[in-house]
Amino acid sequence: MTSPAKKSKRRGEKRVLMWMALPAFAVYASLYLYPALTNLLYATQRWDGITKPEFTGFRNLTYLLTQDDLFRKALGNNLRFMLVVVIFQTAFALMYATFLLKNSKTNIFLRIVFFFPTILSSVSVGIIWTFLYDPNYGSITAFLKSIGMGSHAPLWLGNEKITLYSIALTQVWFHTGQMIVIYVAGLQQIPKELYEAADVDGATRWQQFKGVTWPMALPTTAVVVAYTTIQTFRAFDLIFAMTGGGPNYASEILVTQIYNTAFISQKFGYASAQSIILVALVLFITWLQRKTLRLKDGTK
Amino acid sequence: MKTKGHKAFASLRAGVIATVAAALVVTPLAVAHAADVPTFGATCSTEGISTGQKTTSLICQKNGAGKLTWQRVRLGGSYAVPVANLTPPKGSIEFHHWRSEDKVVLQGIIDDFQAKYPGTKITQVITDSTNYQNLELSKVSVNPKAALVTIFRGQQFTDFSKANMMVDLSNERFVKQNVIQSALTPGILNGRVYAVPYQSLFNNPIYNTEMFAKNGWKTPTNWTQLLGFCKAVKAKGIIPFAWPAATKGNAGQIMNAMMMNSDSSIDAITKHVNDIMAGKELVTDAWFKGIATKYAQMNDAGCFPDNVVAYTDVAAQADFAAGKAAVYPTGTFGMGAIKALNPSMTGKMGIFGMIVVDSKPVYEGITNNTFMFSINPKSSSTDQKIARAFMSYLLTAPVAQKYAVGTSQHVSVINVDYAENVDLLNTSVIMGKKLVLAPRFLFTNGAVATPVELALMAIGSGKDVSATLADAAKQIKTALGA
Repeated sequence: MTSPAKKSKRRGEKRVLMWMALPAFAVYASLYLYPALTNLLYATQRWDGITKPEFTGFRNLTYLLTQDDLFRKALGNNLRFMLVVVIFQTAFALMYATFLLKNSKTNIFLRIVFFFPTILSSVSVGIIWTFLYDPNYGSITAFLKSIGMGSHAPLWLGNEKITLYSIALTQVWFHTGQMIVIYVAGLQQIPKELYEAADVDGATRWQQFKGVTWPMALPTTAVVVAYTTIQTFRAFDLIFAMTGGGPNYASEILVTQIYNTAFISQKFGYASAQSIILVALVLFITWLQRKTLRLKDGTK
Repeated sequence: MKTKGHKAFASLRAGVIATVAAALVVTPLAVAHAADVPTFGATCSTEGISTGQKTTSLICQKNGAGKLTWQRVRLGGSYAVPVANLTPPKGSIEFHHWRSEDKVVLQGIIDDFQAKYPGTKITQVITDSTNYQNLELSKVSVNPKAALVTIFRGQQFTDFSKANMMVDLSNERFVKQNVIQSALTPGILNGRVYAVPYQSLFNNPIYNTEMFAKNGWKTPTNWTQLLGFCKAVKAKGIIPFAWPAATKGNAGQIMNAMMMNSDSSIDAITKHVNDIMAGKELVTDAWFKGIATKYAQMNDAGCFPDNVVAYTDVAAQADFAAGKAAVYPTGTFGMGAIKALNPSMTGKMGIFGMIVVDSKPVYEGITNNTFMFSINPKSSSTDQKIARAFMSYLLTAPVAQKYAVGTSQHVSVINVDYAENVDLLNTSVIMGKKLVLAPRFLFTNGAVATPVELALMAIGSGKDVSATLADAAKQIKTALGA
């Protein structure tokens, strides 16, 4: 049994903790909670950002889901972009992390090298890769020309069929290093005894990966996949800097479309409705991924 | 008017010949039309041409009897001479604009102003043009320190006026007497001046005069000649028009030329645009399809570079500066960047109006005034006074001349002399043509303007006209219904 004095002390501590959390909560409430709630309100309005808003109920949402082909195209682009980036970024990060696991000087140096692109600003990365992809002045085309494959050099950012994948490649290059670091931290937590036991059983390196590394890395993979997914839905600056969503909306994703709807078309209410769909989609996909990975992990 | 090389021009400026150079500035077309000696009241033959932007300039216009004669240009709102700048109170304000390329020149002007009026401080706040157009209204409405704000013609001006975010400047003497009145049009609403255009842009093709002379090419004066010119230039392995189809903003500049003679008058063109924005006319209808078809014809004639769909403005400027392209089609505002890439291009740039009809054109070229000064009504009265004073300072001829020469931009200020910048001098010839305000910006609804411009970029890059326009029409319909 706890004494009344101890109870009173605990209550006092709780009160102090609550007061300490208050500044953080105030910042969160004013910068996230309030805008999110007002966004719900705007989604029910027709508003150009200047004149008085007009209440339209669920019209924005229903129009968006039933009539807006461009929104569907952006959604499709976003899902393809996400799929490509999540698969390749996760695979490359896991592969490199497996090789760079030991804390030797070379490995630490290589981890830094791979991590380096992450510290660049995304607009700079976009501009650098736009130059690399340039069909007239870009080094990629120049390289292909130098090995006699100039006629096969694609229009990386000009061909509607491949533009999105060219940007996805940039995104993978940009963020793989960051995921390597997360994976290295996760893989280093795997008990060495498991590998020793596998060794004793005569398991090959691939069998060790399949039987030990991959299952034990699933919680880390869940984090990497969820984080990468969110990154792909937020790839606004990269796409804006590289193609602006073009050509002909081939690389338009949800966030660039929301920006265009709000600030170019000046339909703030409609853009709010689009952003609600975006948030719901990200939540759903993240939930789905976590559920899938947990099932594989055996935890429910 | 013949173009002049830098060295040749420098020698012209020396000694007595400088007088001739000055006369060339004032009378660019008078030289080309030697028969029309511009004398007040004398007969002239080409309606609309003028002798420059001085208070003493003449313009060829019909008199009361319907005869073309040289008449006094009414540059200012009155015949009074330009006025000196206002004196500012002490204090500090922010000057918001998007032209980072003008930062150094404007800072020099600001430094002079601050030295002249100690205790007054102007700080430039520069945002890139895309974000400026999209976000500036929101920023300024909560920042009263942003007292002097530049505004784009078109949608941004409309938005600022809807939000009552501009002070009426109609009664300012420096507006009435220092600015070419015809240049004020984009900043006028309901007969009142709310924004004062500073630059006079000419969104017409810039060509390499040396290359043209060497190859014996002439600037095309109609549609047939233009397509023929493309074939001749392409045959030499040179890019005829360095059209940057991958950079939406500048790719859209030739749309002005495509639109300007697409109907009998600018009123008729405005009606088409308004009808498209209202959903009453479609981009698949004859008028717009005619415009789009010309893009396809230019592409078929080899006017544009290979891989044009991925051709950026950076590449276009680089190719033109390096002599790989004959024409940089977007306008005078690119001259500064081209000279920065290749200083030897100085004195080698000329300008021509892009005529895409074979009949007599209604308009011969494009002008635009995008960099417009306005004053924030939410600023304190002291800050507004500082903004007024600095604006009036910018609108005096010596300061405007410093800006013009330093940035290679023509300006809308009276009595500015371009003699110190040979390229401004050479391209001043366009000022004597019958110009129309860039009609591209009649599309004031971004939800319509974007699919329209993207469709034209795609068609110019080789996409099928009918299918692309059908897609664009669908996108516009969806956007208008949202």
